[in-house]
Amino acid sequence: MSAAVATGASKMTGPSAPKKQNDTFNQMDKPTQVRLSNITAAKAVADAIRTSLGPRGMDKMIETGKKEVVISNDGATILKHMSVLHPAARMLVDLSAAQDVEAGDGTTSVVVLAGSLLSAAEKLLKKGIHPTQIAEGFQYAAIEAVKILEEISTPINLEDREFLLKSATTSLSSKVVSQYSSVLAPIVVDSVLRIVNPSVDTNADISDIRIVKKVGGTIDDTELVPGLVLNQNVITSAGGPTRIEKAKIGIIQFQLSPPKPDMDNQIVVNDYRQMDRILKEERNYLLNLVKKIKKAGCTVLLIQKSILRDAVNSLSLHFLSKLKIMAIKEIERDEIEFICKATGCKPIADIDSFTEDKLGYADLVEEVESNGSRIVQISGIKNAGKTASIIMRGANQYVLDEAERSIHDALCVIRCLVKKRALVVGGGAPEIEISQRLSQLAKTQTGFQSICFQAFSEAVEVIPTTLAENSGLSPISIVTELRNRHANGEKTAGINVRKGTISDMLKENVIQPLLVSTSAIELSTETVRMLLKIDDILASR
Amino acid sequence: MSGIFDKNNQDSALFIGGSRVSGQEVRAQNVMAALSIANVIKTSLGPVGLDKMLVDDVGDVTISNDGATILQLLEVEHPAGKILVKLAQQQDTEVGDGTTSVVIIAAELLRRGNELIKNHIHPATVITGYRLACKEACKFIADQMALSVDKLGKEALVSVAMTTISSKILGSYGTFFAEMAVDSLSAVKTLDFRGKPKYPVKAVNIMKVKGASARESSYFTGYALYRPFTSSAMKRSLKNPKIAVIDFDITKTRMKMGVNIVIDNPDQLEAIRKREADISAERVRILLEAGVTAVFSTRGIDDMYVKMFAEAGAVTVTRVPKDDARRIAKGTGASLVTTLANLEGDESLDASSIGTAELVEQVRLSDDDVVVIRGAKEQQASTVILRGANDYMLDEMERSFHDSLCAVKRVLESGAVVPGGGSVETALDVYLESFATTLGSREQLAIVEFANGLLSIPKQLSINAAKDSIRLISKLRAYHTAAQTADADSPRSALKNYGLDLHEGKIRDNVKAGVLEPAMSKIKMLKSATEAAINILRIDDMIKLLPEQQKEDPHAHM
Repeated sequence: MSAAVATGASKMTGPSAPKKQNDTFNQMDKPTQVRLSNITAAKAVADAIRTSLGPRGMDKMIETGKKEVVISNDGATILKHMSVLHPAARMLVDLSAAQDVEAGDGTTSVVVLAGSLLSAAEKLLKKGIHPTQIAEGFQYAAIEAVKILEEISTPINLEDREFLLKSATTSLSSKVVSQYSSVLAPIVVDSVLRIVNPSVDTNADISDIRIVKKVGGTIDDTELVPGLVLNQNVITSAGGPTRIEKAKIGIIQFQLSPPKPDMDNQIVVNDYRQMDRILKEERNYLLNLVKKIKKAGCTVLLIQKSILRDAVNSLSLHFLSKLKIMAIKEIERDEIEFICKATGCKPIADIDSFTEDKLGYADLVEEVESNGSRIVQISGIKNAGKTASIIMRGANQYVLDEAERSIHDALCVIRCLVKKRALVVGGGAPEIEISQRLSQLAKTQTGFQSICFQAFSEAVEVIPTTLAENSGLSPISIVTELRNRHANGEKTAGINVRKGTISDMLKENVIQPLLVSTSAIELSTETVRMLLKIDDILASR
Repeated sequence: MSGIFDKNNQDSALFIGGSRVSGQEVRAQNVMAALSIANVIKTSLGPVGLDKMLVDDVGDVTISNDGATILQLLEVEHPAGKILVKLAQQQDTEVGDGTTSVVIIAAELLRRGNELIKNHIHPATVITGYRLACKEACKFIADQMALSVDKLGKEALVSVAMTTISSKILGSYGTFFAEMAVDSLSAVKTLDFRGKPKYPVKAVNIMKVKGASARESSYFTGYALYRPFTSSAMKRSLKNPKIAVIDFDITKTRMKMGVNIVIDNPDQLEAIRKREADISAERVRILLEAGVTAVFSTRGIDDMYVKMFAEAGAVTVTRVPKDDARRIAKGTGASLVTTLANLEGDESLDASSIGTAELVEQVRLSDDDVVVIRGAKEQQASTVILRGANDYMLDEMERSFHDSLCAVKRVLESGAVVPGGGSVETALDVYLESFATTLGSREQLAIVEFANGLLSIPKQLSINAAKDSIRLISKLRAYHTAAQTADADSPRSALKNYGLDLHEGKIRDNVKAGVLEPAMSKIKMLKSATEAAINILRIDDMIKLLPEQQKEDPHAHM
């Protein structure tokens, strides 16, 4: 890897960089070269994913080193799979990942914005402004931009489902699943609302929403399931039940198989009667375990995956099925927490602590088959925690994966609204507004600050420009008209991609959380500042 | 403003560990890949389609006419091609038929979409148009073309099976196998707990026996197992057997790993050996005492114990494949016994896990002995014995028969059929073209292309049959236009059922001629083909990364 970076860097410093080793240290213009090379590399990344911005953005197909195919429209996903080698370019990849963590949506915009800021910085550098001054100027501009965004945002109430639905739809509209947004948006909104308490919570833990993906059917069949869905199947090899009403659910973290002694432990038999005893002992041991489980009233048993020993063997399954206990094995360790939360049961690590109070109760546990795959549904849970389960269906694995990413983005959008309860409109409207106000502010200042503000304000226009380009519209006429509308006080005018005109985004229901926009501005500015401050690349071991 | 990115065009500055293709070029590549896949299988469409012979790297030969089978065996490298292969497989698992058509339509949609994009129509517009067209098309099929099977009766089912079979190797024996498919599937009808009828295709047991001609294939109710009785000392047939299906070995018991047997007296050796034998002997006794007279085991039974069974007048079959064992258990009301242990910690056999049937017998088919269970208590099973000249033929017969079973199942469960022979596609073409003119937006063009893309099916059908496709299709379109412009009750509206007659090279009423397909299969086919085409059209950038370097094994020092 380091070798690749070194060759990349040396290529970047370009033909003008002298080949003699010692000369590089004496070269006065090396910092500028490095900076420009970084900017070029980072801009290339932004350029690569630019066409996937917006509702009419296109997808990228990536064949990974393992010959797997990924088709995606999500900036963070594309960049993650593209093995970008240049270190400066990698910073943009990380930037997109950071936006994914922070806001979950706007991962493409943040990179495009950073690319545009970098090319603005490049121009300023050529004018001879010092990089630190540019960095500082951009920082102030970003602070002002965030202020402007907050000013033009509208606060919302989480009880207002309409607004949540609209923002989820906006997020979904740019994805491959866009035509299903009427199905998916309510699922997304309801599942987030299920896990938060709107009046108290200021954050939502998306890991409390479980997405189970199954190939088969179409995305239309995706549903939010009341209760819990398990990916694992019921074990039926011993003829156990697959449907249990009024179920008591227990999760065990121990195994129902004969105990394995330590490595060098040998059992010595020297009489034939002892052979019977060994066989009988094994039966009795398992029987005891199963009987205790039955005694506690458990009717559905979830068994954690185990590595060292078999989780169950045919004998214990036989006993379980005789006692009409449904068994599901291979529960992953990291699923346990979620399942416990969802069903209200507690994990049981030892047979002696298998008591009734640790069990969860559900009206129905059933293995159902639909569209060629089987899933276990647990419904009517008493004392259910705040969790939600979504079953995703799709024609093939690619669609399914991409749909999951889209749903994840939409979930994050709603989470952003829980975190920061304010909305801005979409369609490039806030960016134009920022651009205009900043350029006014620039006129009130003097010195490099004024120039930086002006450059920042122009750079932000890349979002509406790209939106227009990707939609097959003329960017010049669209952006100039937008400017004009905003100058006339229409703060919510944005690009109507469907009709190819400018219209009021609020009426078109194109809205997005404030947090997505603010964090995009903040994160991209910070990355740009960091890149500007670098003046040398050294390959280290 | 938009110029800021132009300077560093594409790959020049982006260092990625691989190659990158963007824009029109990648679209062209993808479409090319899809078309070449479709080209491979398009000549196998329809009743007069031809077969492909596929030879893999070890020299195994498969001869097939089934789109999914052919594509599965092709080693497709191109990622867009892989999407089409997956599409065919998905159609195969969900519907079981129409695998060739789905690929042809998807490829045609791609080709036409690409043409539109080349003419400067934005891909997003094409995609919206395709979606709209697909939605309208599905609605049209459901509202206008679909006919309820209830009205048509069993003949309709046979016709559906016929239509599927006609394009396959069994085509020349159409009615014979079609009736067999309908009968064998009707026999396995079950109700789920909601009372909805289910027709599990898997419950139809297809056996392939080499020798004799396809014509001599036969069908009977009952379950046949490609295994003989374990010992020739056993009876050839047994009336009212009590059946146990077991999933454990009846062999000398071995102690588990970690158990050492240490003796200090040679006499004890004999005792241990005897005990090893006795533990299993006791199990045999438990089975026999419970009244079991027929044992189906998924594992082995030692000769010693086989003798015990034979002496008691019981029959055994060993090494029964697990799937078969499960089906036998289900059919006879037995349960698959994995162990004899009971809740008291001892061993016994529960009476409830014993199943019954009317007869178990061993019959001779060609060179092999086959065990047949007849009159199972719980669920009837059907067994179809396919006869054919060689393995390739038998394999292809099985696939064809399976396809027709799937088609019949779809019709039985969804209850609607549409006329085949390109009539639905032509009707949709006519309908969508007139629908497109009602729209004033750019999507109109995409819808027209979608409509014309569907015509590729009747076109290909007639080309494969070496008929004059232009003449036939223009005539067919004229008929369908007449049908759609006519009033619902005028006699001309019946023209909507007209489709191709590929043997005569003319057009006819395909409902009357009995060329029918499940409506659901057509709808699903359109939906998945559109989905796949859209999936590929949306791509405007392809990045191929270099294969990952194998990490050097730190332990593999020389």
